[in-house]
Amino acid sequence: MRLEKCYFCSSTIYPGHGTMFVRNDSKIFRFCRSKCHAAFKHKRNPRKVRWTKAFRKAAGKEMTIDSTFEFEKRRNVPVRYDRDLMDTTIKAMKRISEIKAKRERVFYKDRMSGNKEREKAENIREIQKNIELVGSSTKIKAQVAKITEKSQQNADMEIS
Amino acid sequence: MAVRAQFENSNDIGVFTRLTNSYCLVAIGGSENFYSVFEGELGDVIPVIHASIAGTRIVGRLTVGNRKGLLVPNTTTDQELQHLRNSLPDSVQIQRIEERLSALGNVIACNDYVALVHPDIDRETQEIIRDVLGVEVFTQTIAGNVLVGSYCAINNQGGLVHPRTSVQDQDELSSLLQVPLVAGTINRGSDVIGAGIVVNDWCAFAGLDSTSTEISVVENIFKLHDAQPTAIVKEMRDSLVDTYS
Repeated sequence: MRLEKCYFCSSTIYPGHGTMFVRNDSKIFRFCRSKCHAAFKHKRNPRKVRWTKAFRKAAGKEMTIDSTFEFEKRRNVPVRYDRDLMDTTIKAMKRISEIKAKRERVFYKDRMSGNKEREKAENIREIQKNIELVGSSTKIKAQVAKITEKSQQNADMEIS
Repeated sequence: MAVRAQFENSNDIGVFTRLTNSYCLVAIGGSENFYSVFEGELGDVIPVIHASIAGTRIVGRLTVGNRKGLLVPNTTTDQELQHLRNSLPDSVQIQRIEERLSALGNVIACNDYVALVHPDIDRETQEIIRDVLGVEVFTQTIAGNVLVGSYCAINNQGGLVHPRTSVQDQDELSSLLQVPLVAGTINRGSDVIGAGIVVNDWCAFAGLDSTSTEISVVENIFKLHDAQPTAIVKEMRDSLVDTYS
């Protein structure tokens, strides 16, 4: 039994699940559930629907170029059965999934790096912009002034 | 030798069989009688493999192959592909091809050197045919029929084509194939030659309905016996060729 991929969301379709649509040019579309089939019937583009794998890949949210993807593919040229080869393949599969998981973690980390600083800078800018809204409370004003000074200093340091 | 056979009361054995010079595929689940015909004739020379393609038994119409390779359609399952690889000799290349026209046996006719293909077949597929089967590829029709695989049977010594093929077409085809051709029928007048007969370089299997005249034409054009044809057979063939051309 082959585990197919859903045309819309790219999830795995196990035997006995989902539906298959064959267009009259004999192209086969498989869907994992009615949600994906309905989306297809509405002519939604899977690259523009945010919950699909296609969107996540197109938007750079997941790894797209990686050597680990080369292993899981439909192959048209078969290899003669060889017990030793099968043995090593099964061993390799575990190792490959480990490597893939590790690379995915690194990718996520890279993607998220710098987010905290960016958020902080954004907040400071907002406070500076809207300082007049704070009112007359001197305590808060002093705090704001301090932060502003600090950020200014940092900016200066970066420039110099 | 040309032998008559029948698959489950059907004379169209070419539908259920693919015969080449290095292997023979037969449909699974047929009667032992049918298999015995093939195994008796080929058993100790080339492997006779019981196979299915995409869960169906019409292996002869869905696959195409020669001595060097075998092509199967994209509907072939992984298990079937693996089974074929494990049972065929290593010298035979196997490839599954992504082609819209998935009945490869109907759209491609080939021997070990030349292949005739349906005019609508993909360029990429033609390239694969060239590489895997090691043949020259020509887009052709036979008597106005695009299904070249259904309407002819060829081996390395000769070919049998649709009875309504004109003489000019026969000349053109035989100059492409570099083998003599004859227009004729099989199974008592059936014009689907590819379905009625399977041939390789030393034997042929025709449907049970084939007349002795048809069989003798087959044996002559495919050069299946070492001895020279007798005068009467030659005469008979000449008159047949005249009638149908």
